[in-house]
Amino acid sequence: MRYESITEAIGNTPLVRIDPAVHGLVHIDLYAKLEMLNPFGSVKDRPAWNMAGPHLATAAERGETVVELSSGNTAKALALLAGMHGLRFKSVTNRMRIPEIKELLLLLGAEIEELPGRSECLDPTDTDDPLTRFHQALAEPGGTYLHTDQYFNPRNTEAHASGTGPEIIKDLDGRAPDWFIACVGTAGSSTGVARVLREHDPDVRVLGLVAHKSDFIPGIRTIDEVHQVGLFDPATYDTIESVTADEAIDGMVTLIRRCGLLSGPTGGAAFHGAVRHLRAIDDELTERRTAVFIVCDRAESYTGYVRQRRPELVGRPPLKNSAAALTEAQVRAEAAVIDTEAARRWISDGDPAPLVIDLRGPHAYAALHIDGSVNITDELFGELLRGGLPFSKRQPVLLACPVGEKSARYAALLTRMGHPDVRSLSGGIIAWRDAGAPLVRD
Amino acid sequence: MRVPLYLQPRLEPPLSSLLEATPFLHSLADALGSPLNVLLPDRIAENAERFRAVYRKHHLTGRVTFAHKANRSSALLRRLAATDPGSTGVDVASLGELQHALSCGFTPDRITATGPKDPRFLWLAARTGVTVHPDSLTELEQLAELVRKFALPRVDVLPRLSGFETATGSGVSGVKVLSRRSRFGTPVGEVGALLDALERHRDAVEPVGVAYHLDTTGLTEKAVALEQCVVVMDELRARGLDPRIVDIGGGFGVGYVEDAGQWERYTTELANAVLGTRPALTWRGHGYGLRNEGGTLRGALGLYPAHRPTAGPGYLDDLLSAPAPASGRPPATLLLEHLYDLAVQPGRALVDQCGAVLARVLDVRPTDSGDHLVRVGMNAGDMSLEEHGVLVDPLLLPREGGQGQGDEGPVGIRLVGNLCLEADLITRRTVYLPRLPHVGDLLAFANTAGYAMDFHAHVAQRQPLARTVAVVRDGGSWRWCPDEEYWPITQSGGPAS
Repeated sequence: MRYESITEAIGNTPLVRIDPAVHGLVHIDLYAKLEMLNPFGSVKDRPAWNMAGPHLATAAERGETVVELSSGNTAKALALLAGMHGLRFKSVTNRMRIPEIKELLLLLGAEIEELPGRSECLDPTDTDDPLTRFHQALAEPGGTYLHTDQYFNPRNTEAHASGTGPEIIKDLDGRAPDWFIACVGTAGSSTGVARVLREHDPDVRVLGLVAHKSDFIPGIRTIDEVHQVGLFDPATYDTIESVTADEAIDGMVTLIRRCGLLSGPTGGAAFHGAVRHLRAIDDELTERRTAVFIVCDRAESYTGYVRQRRPELVGRPPLKNSAAALTEAQVRAEAAVIDTEAARRWISDGDPAPLVIDLRGPHAYAALHIDGSVNITDELFGELLRGGLPFSKRQPVLLACPVGEKSARYAALLTRMGHPDVRSLSGGIIAWRDAGAPLVRD
Repeated sequence: MRVPLYLQPRLEPPLSSLLEATPFLHSLADALGSPLNVLLPDRIAENAERFRAVYRKHHLTGRVTFAHKANRSSALLRRLAATDPGSTGVDVASLGELQHALSCGFTPDRITATGPKDPRFLWLAARTGVTVHPDSLTELEQLAELVRKFALPRVDVLPRLSGFETATGSGVSGVKVLSRRSRFGTPVGEVGALLDALERHRDAVEPVGVAYHLDTTGLTEKAVALEQCVVVMDELRARGLDPRIVDIGGGFGVGYVEDAGQWERYTTELANAVLGTRPALTWRGHGYGLRNEGGTLRGALGLYPAHRPTAGPGYLDDLLSAPAPASGRPPATLLLEHLYDLAVQPGRALVDQCGAVLARVLDVRPTDSGDHLVRVGMNAGDMSLEEHGVLVDPLLLPREGGQGQGDEGPVGIRLVGNLCLEADLITRRTVYLPRLPHVGDLLAFANTAGYAMDFHAHVAQRQPLARTVAVVRDGGSWRWCPDEEYWPITQSGGPAS
């Protein structure tokens, strides 16, 4: 397939049948609409392009910055679209909760503004909430922003009403599915698709999925948060149900490990919510039915999210030469320690004198350190040791950290690795300072 | 009736057992009137110890300093003064608070003076040798001048910094953590002039560190600020000064509501009520900052997050543990590595579980809405949780023999105060209680020692101010004395000899 621009590759995503052996539904064919296969990686490519597309040329002339309240996929798509047109993109967000996405956005050239947290000493009469100020700033005359406004912009919904919805009908040989299941984020996809499906067949039932209130699932709002979305209309949905983060991850793992679909947690939530809802109905059915859910984006950015909630899913064997693997008792038994006074004598009279390694961060080292010491930050030092001893066994070593805790750990590890004379400065640089021993800066 | 939307308070000992001592509390309120503030001074020492445990975990040294403004009680201050002098202190924000702290037994080395200051406040601070947090360059100059003019000893200063809002990256690509603007402190952007002034006034002031206080629950903003303070400290050191302390202020928070589910249900229903999909939950449909615009919820919920999974010492632990944005090193590690002490100034969090406000039920009558109107012997100024956006239920302490009158079961009540004023509502929301209160019962507003007890109290309409009593556990019973009569040596049978 040959294209003039990557934007032509947006849409026309595959509709893939989920193996009944996986979902266990007897009378219902369950299909996944693979929005993750859009070129920028998610369902948001469609609205991003539909909302920004018509304005990009003018915006480029005026030197405007594209701006959106998004911490995820919309920001990703808009950043790429802006970049293609020589525009800057700014993402304004409460808090970026997925570090990988944050880094990815920075890689894409986005600028990120994180809004202040909630006030601790609350003034209930304060009308100056950060979002209000954001909107005021956009509305200022002479402003140079192209605000796509995904939560209120009807062109978000329209992208799905003209694309995603008709594609589903076409791929089901001109029929609407009996159920359509979507997670509610901006409500754009669910509202747009539902409208088209219902126009085609008024009996289509629409299940909207929201995140369980105390949970966080990327790209899905909780039942409270959906009320703040301009495009959200409760009448769109026959049912609204909530999904927990755990269930979303379960669904995601099933799609990945059993269906070959590299879905992220949002798609997992849709799958889990769909099967849970349909299972009860399936028992009553006698004829064949169809259901479609949306796989919103891909898995790769969410390994940290999974590690935090379900570490066993990304479990790895312990690393070689790891200081963290030593127990407190092992450290106590195996680390040789030396106090400030003895350490000073060792440094001045030792033959050979010890190599002094300061394990603190570079700024702290630059500010004050033991004269003649070498700075290798603890994390780097740890990495270094994975490969083996980074200095000769004939070279005595004195390790120093702030309080003598990390240095003892590394001293124990080096001893285990066969080094005969490594000692840890007991009480660390703080004890050294408190004993009145000299510290220098360059 | 509908499922009652309780917001039951989080109670820990000794407050939980005190609030079970109903006859004792009734006898106190009978003798001393309504409203009545009841304080548990021993708990402030326990709270300080919990903060100290976080210090120990991270090997940090420095003081935990109580922000006096959270409560004006003498008992709390005197009890705190009796704890380890090397690890606790008090932060004062007015001349009166400074005098009070000195009189309660705090030596000047344990006192810090913050906030806007007038010359009298500065003079007494300098004269007695407390550490001053200059709020601005002007105040620093003023202090230096005062020291010279009246030949005062050199004053330890911890200049307060602000305006940490900054980008971690350069150019277009980068992350900018925005922060609410504060009217206190010297913006870090202007820190050069501040450092020049500190050097210039070395004969009068001794910079022992820097301070900040950010009014936010956000950890990232605070970590950004702490990181930048360390940079300023290094700059001071490079100029030949010897700064030791980074004071990160307070704002560690308190969890008021025990159950996360109750808080979530309540806030969901509040949103539904604002949208009109359920009956109102508040006086005249007040939305606590939320409003309904064509079926969409707009505005921001202006409420304190009453249920907090981590608050107080736990919050400090989180702040110290999470990698800071610029260096990637946890703040605790940064402080340790740079050999700096940590000072914190919790207000609310140090008096968590330290007291309650008692109010007598004066009138109970049904209204058209089905909810009952309950008038109590205090007004909104006497117990100002509502003013601070904290929603939490009072406890009903029935009068002896007042139970079992056939009207049992959960009810919704409107709590109104004793002022002849439409707006005197103890809270604008309908409060659900397990049963209808009767005249003569007490309502106990628990965990109000931080900002909610006497912070806004006034004598409008000549209504009485609450008396304040200190209560200590004495074996199986409770002993009490007026707040001003409490001393940490008070034991059963009178003061220890």
